[in-house]
Amino acid sequence: MDKLIRIDNLHKSFYDGDTELKVLKGVNLDIHQAEVLAIMGASGVGKSTLLHIIGTLDRPTEGNIFYEDEDITAFSERELTRFRNDAIGFVFQFHQLLPEFTALENVAMSGLIRNTRKVENKNGNRYSSDAYEKAEILLESVGLSERLGHFPSQLSGGERQRVAIARALVNQPKVVLADEPTGNIDDKTSEAVLDVLQDINERLKQTFIIVTHDSRLSERANRTVHLVDGKIAD
Amino acid sequence: MKFEWFVASRYLLSRRKQSFISIISIISIVGVGLGVATVILVIAVLDGVEHGLKERFLANEAHIVLRLIDNGFYSDYENKIEAIEDVEGVVAASPVVYSQLAVFREGSKQIEDVILIKGIVPEVEDKVTSFTKFVNGSYDFQNDDLIKQARFLNDETITGGIVLGSRLAQRLTVAKGDVLKLVVNMTEDQLNPGAYIPLIRNFVVIGFYESELTVYDDHIAYIDLKAAQKIYNEVGRVNSIFIRLENAEFAPKMSEEIEEAAQFSVLDMPTTRTWMEKYAPLFSALELEKIATVIIEALIILVAAFNIASTLIMTVMEKTRDVGMLRTLGASRGHIMGIFMIKGSVIGMLGTLAGTTLGLYICWLLSTNVMRPSPWIANACIGILSCSVIGIAYRRIGTVSVTFIIFATIFSINMFITPFLVLSSTMRTVLIILGVIALVIFWIIVLIKSWQKLSSIWKPTFFALGLLAIGFILFCYVKPISLEELGLSAIYQMNQLPIKVNWFFVGFINALSFAICWLATIYPAWQASNLKPIEALQYE
Ligand SMILES: Nc1ncnc2c1ncn2[C@@H]1O[C@H](COP(=O)(O)OP(=O)(O)O)[C@@H](O)[C@H]1O
Ligand SMILES: [Mg+2]
Repeated sequence: MDKLIRIDNLHKSFYDGDTELKVLKGVNLDIHQAEVLAIMGASGVGKSTLLHIIGTLDRPTEGNIFYEDEDITAFSERELTRFRNDAIGFVFQFHQLLPEFTALENVAMSGLIRNTRKVENKNGNRYSSDAYEKAEILLESVGLSERLGHFPSQLSGGERQRVAIARALVNQPKVVLADEPTGNIDDKTSEAVLDVLQDINERLKQTFIIVTHDSRLSERANRTVHLVDGKIAD
Repeated sequence: MKFEWFVASRYLLSRRKQSFISIISIISIVGVGLGVATVILVIAVLDGVEHGLKERFLANEAHIVLRLIDNGFYSDYENKIEAIEDVEGVVAASPVVYSQLAVFREGSKQIEDVILIKGIVPEVEDKVTSFTKFVNGSYDFQNDDLIKQARFLNDETITGGIVLGSRLAQRLTVAKGDVLKLVVNMTEDQLNPGAYIPLIRNFVVIGFYESELTVYDDHIAYIDLKAAQKIYNEVGRVNSIFIRLENAEFAPKMSEEIEEAAQFSVLDMPTTRTWMEKYAPLFSALELEKIATVIIEALIILVAAFNIASTLIMTVMEKTRDVGMLRTLGASRGHIMGIFMIKGSVIGMLGTLAGTTLGLYICWLLSTNVMRPSPWIANACIGILSCSVIGIAYRRIGTVSVTFIIFATIFSINMFITPFLVLSSTMRTVLIILGVIALVIFWIIVLIKSWQKLSSIWKPTFFALGLLAIGFILFCYVKPISLEELGLSAIYQMNQLPIKVNWFFVGFINALSFAICWLATIYPAWQASNLKPIEALQYE
């Protein structure tokens, strides 16, 4: 299998005044194209921190992350923003949908953001520019074709999470990063959400990195790694 | 920009569900709008007063007076006048003997007043100061019947007729046909060295000068030019030429040209005085007042802008998690900055436009004399509209009844106020106005609460109806202000509070207001764009 992401000796410390809190202490990890990787670990061990750094929302204290041999830790703020828009999809524990926008608009959002970069769209952009069209297809594929015009407040917890998954996919990212996507919903609904994830992975060959406590989720993953004391345990 | 507009417009319009303009946006818009409306209104009144006063003063005021520095008489004035009238932009010029004299009535033993006396040729003076328009009575200085009568009755040397300022005549208690004695000058008594004998000339009052301008009616009198020349022993000479221009505003510019055209001899030192110089203190006071007003009003808009800034800072806090998510989705700092600046700028723009509309509408109402419907109808409008909003929002008879009672109270208080306001005993008016303000505030709070509960289907309808109602209520209540009823018509020389909209200024205040509002958006927007994505996402 092709290697999509290579994480090389990643360190992250938080500083509170003079005290240093070492969270990640040399993470080495490869993520392959089209796999579902589950990261498990005790609460507070640094799973979210790792995911944020992989997703360019935060910078490591030390170490490198390569996406297809491109070192994103060397990117400028501006390049990171663009990279995030093009290559990363996020799903959080709390859906984080924008309350003023309908399901369809929420899903289309990162497509709309991409469309503001006109120059690139003209020069051999391989994506369709109609974010709404794609959003509609995606909502259909997560089973919400009846819910396009609904606002987040009109949706159930499971439905919201499925909208969030569709939203992460709209720009056909290299990887979708999910931080405890079933952490906040009941077991039965979780199953439906997991079905959706699996289906997308199989149909679209979409790479997923999923942080979870949920053993059922890790059962469905291609591979599970454990984060222990700031490192990947073997 | 399309993306930023999309997000900003949604933030502007609604909370959670698809709805109409959010109440906080409305409050911000109203804040800016009231500021702009007052500025436009106050300046229109000040401009109107200035313009009205100018027009009033200029009706019977020469634009330029040409005389010698020592006030001396000069001959050859007919040629000078001809030359002046040939100057481009001059309408007419009139020869005048202009002086101050002491007067007393027949039979009186003492000087009663010192008056300004103008010796004129009525037909010529008419072209410069519209003289005849303001005369009540006759201005036939030589042959009026009253003169003949007086000559016959008193067998006296009557020099001619005199037209007296109306208020001056009142003060002297003289009527038409009475004889007035003018002290022309003093000569030393040949028999009694050191003593002086006044040289006195008798004139018959044949008319009154009624310009309604105190400066004139209180102090002036007109006699025949020839008579004036004779009593001063200056036959064929005058000491002033009064000039009217096509455009009064050009007076300072044209003074010099006119001086040259008059071709005085080298020894004479001509000088001019324009109407502007005469009224300089008054108009510079008005100008100062205007500047002060603009500064105060700019402060009002500034307060409104702070209101926008604080509203935006609040929205930024409220939207922190959204900002975090948008950044996660790949929105740049520029996008975030744009979203919040658009939101603030749109509020500023709508407020400015609403304020301009309101200000101009009130200006129009204040200057248009048409029959107004009874305020009762306006009150009924407020009542019905508010009750329907509350009724539809709460769907409860009890709530509607309570609010109906409140509106009935406003209604009846208004009914009692309206007659009292005209009486305007200051203290009572203040109390009544305070009462109304309290009720209106209560009413607005009730309306805001029900507006928030109102389903969004109804909002555009009631918004439009509400605007119409406000327009109608203003139409009922706002009328031209009568200065006569307020007893101010003498002071301002006008019957109705004048309104003059200066379009250039309206444009200026629009630009200023928008610029201030725009500047106010920068800090909150910058703050939003500076949020760190993860921290923003985890913001509680
Ligand atoms: N911004 C931050 N500043 C300081 N400490 C942080 C910050 N973010 C996370 N931490 C700390 O890092 C550790 C790992 O947090 P996190 O990655 O959220 O754990 P997990 O997701 O595995 O439960 C925790 O001890 C947490 O308190
Ligand atoms: Mg976590």
